[in-house]
Amino acid sequence: MPFRALRPACALRALSTLHPSRLVRLLALATGLILLAGSAAASVPLRKLEWTFVAPDPLAPATGADGAASGQPPTTFDLPLHWSTVEGTPLHSVALRMHFALDAVPDQSWALLLSHFSEGGRVSVNGRFIGAISAESDQRHVNWHRPQLLSLDPGVLVQGDNVVLVETSYGPGAHTLAGVEAGPLGELWNSYARIFFCEVIWTWSGAVVAALAALVFGALWFHRRDAVARLLAVAALCWLLYSATWLVEVMPQGVRLPLHLAAITALAGFLATLSIALLRMSGLSRRREDWLIGLYAAIGPLLSLATSLRAEPYLQLSWQPGLSLVLAGATGVGLFRRTRGLPAPPLLVLIAAVALVLAALLDVGSALGLNALDGAPAFDFIAPLMLLALATPLVDGLIQTMHETEAARVELETRVREREQLLKRNFERLRESERVKVESQERQRIMQDMHDGLGSQLMSALMLVERGAVSNDQFAQILRESIDDMRLAIDALTAEDADLTAALGNLRFRMEPRLRAAGMELAWDARRLPEEIGLHPDVVLPILRIVQEALTNALKHSRARAVRVVLMVEGTGDARMLDIRIADNGAGISEERVGGRGLLNMRNRAQKIGAQLKLETAANVGTTVHLRFRIGALVPGTRAQQTVLNTQAVIERARQQ
Amino acid sequence: MSADQISIIIVEDEPEFRRRFAQIIDSEPTMRLAGVAANKREAQALIDREDFDVMLIDLGLPDGTGIDLIRNVSQRKPDVDIMVVTVFGDEQHVVSSIEAGATGYILKDSTPADVISCIRLLRAGGSPVSPVVARSVLRAIRSRMGGTPSNSNTLPPRSANAENNPLSARETEILQLLAKGMSFNEIGEILGISPHTVTAHIKKIYRKLAVHSRGEAVYEASQMGLLKT
Repeated sequence: MPFRALRPACALRALSTLHPSRLVRLLALATGLILLAGSAAASVPLRKLEWTFVAPDPLAPATGADGAASGQPPTTFDLPLHWSTVEGTPLHSVALRMHFALDAVPDQSWALLLSHFSEGGRVSVNGRFIGAISAESDQRHVNWHRPQLLSLDPGVLVQGDNVVLVETSYGPGAHTLAGVEAGPLGELWNSYARIFFCEVIWTWSGAVVAALAALVFGALWFHRRDAVARLLAVAALCWLLYSATWLVEVMPQGVRLPLHLAAITALAGFLATLSIALLRMSGLSRRREDWLIGLYAAIGPLLSLATSLRAEPYLQLSWQPGLSLVLAGATGVGLFRRTRGLPAPPLLVLIAAVALVLAALLDVGSALGLNALDGAPAFDFIAPLMLLALATPLVDGLIQTMHETEAARVELETRVREREQLLKRNFERLRESERVKVESQERQRIMQDMHDGLGSQLMSALMLVERGAVSNDQFAQILRESIDDMRLAIDALTAEDADLTAALGNLRFRMEPRLRAAGMELAWDARRLPEEIGLHPDVVLPILRIVQEALTNALKHSRARAVRVVLMVEGTGDARMLDIRIADNGAGISEERVGGRGLLNMRNRAQKIGAQLKLETAANVGTTVHLRFRIGALVPGTRAQQTVLNTQAVIERARQQ
Repeated sequence: MSADQISIIIVEDEPEFRRRFAQIIDSEPTMRLAGVAANKREAQALIDREDFDVMLIDLGLPDGTGIDLIRNVSQRKPDVDIMVVTVFGDEQHVVSSIEAGATGYILKDSTPADVISCIRLLRAGGSPVSPVVARSVLRAIRSRMGGTPSNSNTLPPRSANAENNPLSARETEILQLLAKGMSFNEIGEILGISPHTVTAHIKKIYRKLAVHSRGEAVYEASQMGLLKT
């Protein structure tokens, strides 16, 4: 049992790698093997049937095991026997006798198989009752498709001639008596199982396939408005209905006609929609042909309805073969177009269509009595396969779509990655150029500062020295002021974020010894200053210069005993204000000096950064320089961080798209 | 020459300043000039030859930076006070000198009295510091602790990274007050300690920063496989 050894996962994987068309081929092979399995029988087929009408009363008991009660001579028929009874015929009761000869009484269990016996009845062998199957009555209509297996007690059988008697009744409709066999139970069981599979399980499977196909094609039609899918959905529904009527074997007499009519209609619908779908797949969609096919398909059901099925035997020989010819025509068109390389149905569909046409022809032949086919029409076997074949292009398409989707996804990912790289490169380039820009701005600022501050101071010092207008002390003073100014610039520039608090502290650190040396007490109140004030050097430097200028003025001109500097930051958020007061208790500034250069410089610097500068001076009371500047809620470093975050967000967004 | 005289060497390449500093020290009876050097090579010889208490050193020497000399002396002669001579007292020079082992700095244009009092302060166990330098030291320590210096206005909680923060709470407080421009006297008043203790704290901070940066250098070197462990 090599197959047993296969683990289910392996088997599944093996199945999943199968191409759909190969799968269908495998199915066909398996079906063939199953059909072959029952062909080696050593049982005795019963070929002849003696037919005797018994009393018209179907409930009257049969007279006995041998001999007809009515004295009518029996009519002998060859099996298989097919006949139809027109509508309106009353119930007939018949006794059917069949013979088989035995060389010896078998020593094992035997059985009787009625494989294609559309009627039920009471069955006895050699006069001994062996079983009863529901038969036709006034209330009940039977149309058995399933096989019946009745076991025979060895005691029943005799050497020589054995008689099988079936007492039954029949009403209007088509009837079949075929496939009667007597033989060892084991062997007949195999035949029974095979026929049960073909007649019942296959039909059930076909119904399930049709239901699934109807769902799939229906969904396809619903979501994509695919015209072919709509036709195929209708065809699958028709086949589902047809299978259902086939599977109902025993029914009340009242539903017999409607059910039969439904079967005819379903079959016609299946053939017609299938033919139109084949034409559509071939790229032909002409409304006229569609209508013609539809009209032709409607003839059968309409006539059957109009005649209460009386016309059915004739339709079976004329209209139904015509429908098969329509299918054959559609298939032929498809084949023709395929050989010409024109749009055509998929190959598997065409093969299935050809098989379906052949099966239909076989059935027509069978109906005409040209060949002897027991059991169900060959068409019924092939139709579910046809539905499967129609579904395979969908599977192919699905697989292809999956491949394409995957390929598209891979391509998209590659493109996103490339874009991401590009974005990163651009960002780095941007950052680099920003850095270069900042550096050059910084350079320009320093140049400007040297030009305005140190440069001009040294230049005027040079002029004075050349003129011989300065003493040594004055010259040292000028140089000292120049160096002081440079120190301020360095304090303002030195840290990556200029810290005004520390820079002001440095100013005090440097100025205090000088003031003290001049006998001036410096009180420095920085208690209300935050630990750090991060401001741009462009703002820090002017503030430092203003404070230094005020202190230098006090040192040079005020003759004060004490200088008090109060620094504070008040308010919150955007309204935060820096407030600096430099007050001395000296002589005050005289009228003519208020407009002097030092004070003008202070005002200009305050104006440039948008600060308010107030000067209060009174003779012999002192001078107060009051500076107010709005510093706001400035937090250094935030802007650079935001840039980085934004770039990351941009990259993230690009990745998601 | 008396035993309690402070012996000093000067490493300075500019003759004018060399002369000026030599003159200041010569004219101070409590101090003694032990030697002068104009470049690294001479300085190294001087360091090897002489015993001294204080080294005044300019960083920009014609044959290289003075940082190596500072490191050398601070490791070999831990009792020596190293004082950096700088034009501007700017952050970059001063902090890297402190990290190499210097405990003080002095501006080139300081008055003679400033120079003398600065040396005295150093020998007495204190260190002078400007607000900008104090701020830089705080920043250097914060960045070692992994904090970003620009947007943390206060030190992170000590428990968070106490191992990396070599400073005590008091030392950090002193640095913060210094950075605000407070004088030693004012800080002493606020903290209830003498100004002398304040400067002693500052010297301790400098030492810690130097030891800390040395430890870091050793760690990094061993990580790179430069040192055998």
